[in-house]
Amino acid sequence: MIPEYLIRALLASVMISVLLGLLSPLINMKGLAFLTHATFHSLLFGAVLGMILGLILGNLGMVMWAALIITIVVVLAIAELEKRGFSPDAAVGIAASFVAGLTVLAFGVLYKVMAEKPYFPFSESIVSYLTGEVFLITLNDLLTLVIGGTLIFFLMLLLYRDFLYVSFDPDGVESYGGNVRAYLMLLYVMVGAIGALIVKTVGLITLQVIAVLPGAIAMMVSSNIRKILGVSLFLTLGVELLSILMAYRTDIPPSGIATIMLGVIYGALLFRR
Amino acid sequence: MEAVSAENVDILYESYIAVKGLSFGIEEGETLLLLGPNGAGKTTLLRTIAGFHRNYHGKLLVFGKTPEDARELISYVPQSHSLNGLVPLKAVEVVSMGAIYKKGFFHFRVPEEALSRAREALSFVGLDDVAERRFSELSGGQRQRVLLARALMSNPKLLLLDEPLSALDPSARAEVAAVLGKIKREKSVTMIIATHDINPLMEIGNRVMLINRKLIAFGTPEEVLRDEVIKSVYGPLARAIKVESRLYCITGDVHLHLKGEQP
Repeated sequence: MIPEYLIRALLASVMISVLLGLLSPLINMKGLAFLTHATFHSLLFGAVLGMILGLILGNLGMVMWAALIITIVVVLAIAELEKRGFSPDAAVGIAASFVAGLTVLAFGVLYKVMAEKPYFPFSESIVSYLTGEVFLITLNDLLTLVIGGTLIFFLMLLLYRDFLYVSFDPDGVESYGGNVRAYLMLLYVMVGAIGALIVKTVGLITLQVIAVLPGAIAMMVSSNIRKILGVSLFLTLGVELLSILMAYRTDIPPSGIATIMLGVIYGALLFRR
Repeated sequence: MEAVSAENVDILYESYIAVKGLSFGIEEGETLLLLGPNGAGKTTLLRTIAGFHRNYHGKLLVFGKTPEDARELISYVPQSHSLNGLVPLKAVEVVSMGAIYKKGFFHFRVPEEALSRAREALSFVGLDDVAERRFSELSGGQRQRVLLARALMSNPKLLLLDEPLSALDPSARAEVAAVLGKIKREKSVTMIIATHDINPLMEIGNRVMLINRKLIAFGTPEEVLRDEVIKSVYGPLARAIKVESRLYCITGDVHLHLKGEQP
């Protein structure tokens, strides 16, 4: 008999793989690794803020929403800085430094609030946001992931060609009547929203790697967009499922196993070259 | 009707004036060759006329409208090496970009009609056989011609070309220049071409504008390409020479040979 928590974990990883498998090549082609890094760090800030509010208001469910809202605010701030003439890297650098500082400050506040409130369930949440706990995913978490993930998946699919064109030549898209700012804003918000949906299961420490490496590997083995997407999707799916099954047998955190597997594949391909 | 007219245009980045006091006008169907050293403001001027850069003072009109309002009449052709080669688009997909953004926000599939027009545009620039090849795998000259095909997809009245001949070998330059000549003859499109190498384009240029963060000279090639004018921008080695009634401009690629050295 397969334990229910394992089935939930496997279903979650299928959704995670579909989302990251599709997003990862875009992150590589558009050169969004730095933005992804800042976005995922703002998730931690949002999660800590959500925990503080959750402790004060006694509502556990607001952590993910706080993470999502903060991430979107940070993404919009980055887009606004870019609009005002800062280079993408400078805009991300400015936002990331604020977010990093605020996260440390928020942790200080969280510890104070935790000292006055019952905090054991939240301490688990902090750990799961950092390292990922796919085996602890609840049915509600899974439903949110599947519904939110499906919406983002279809939106991303509909806009995929536009995202490719904007990555290729933003001036060209604007010149022919496309709204580059709207496309980029949507892409950045999707990066943040996907991060918010899956961070609790994948973990912040490894999320960056799992979001970037499948696309990077796929682009090393193919130069055809359909093949790149196929390799990225199947690679993410294979690594996610295998890591969960190995974690089930060995009690090692699955996101750690997935990250190491991706690192080994990427390193082997680089070495072969 | 004047295709482009500028009166006392200052182009700014924040409060810094990148190009100062430009006044010029070109008629519909004319080709303007925009010449100037690196950092002179050629790309900035093109991007301002294209409506991408909006921080300017003065009066700038494209077919009687502001650049932002004239967007549908303009096609901007960037330098091909400024495009992101990591995106694996086929040549025909790059060209069809020029047709799909007039309608809708989502472009999951390129309509068959746009693909068919893209193939025709590729054929016009002499690239029937590269439609299915990846853009980044094409030669520099082919890439530039693909971008020209893309620019024609929106039936523009004004083509703005940012150094279309840069980083090309002489035969590729000649190919691109020939396509530009064909566009001028068969499409009657007004063109502004920023370039370092004016010589291959001399046959299609009605007017030449020399800038160096301000207007140095504007007029016919004979009026502008005079020794004293180009020396004032490119230094004492620059020259304008006439060979068999054809004018050549030597600006940067001058080779000095010291005594005793083999040329």
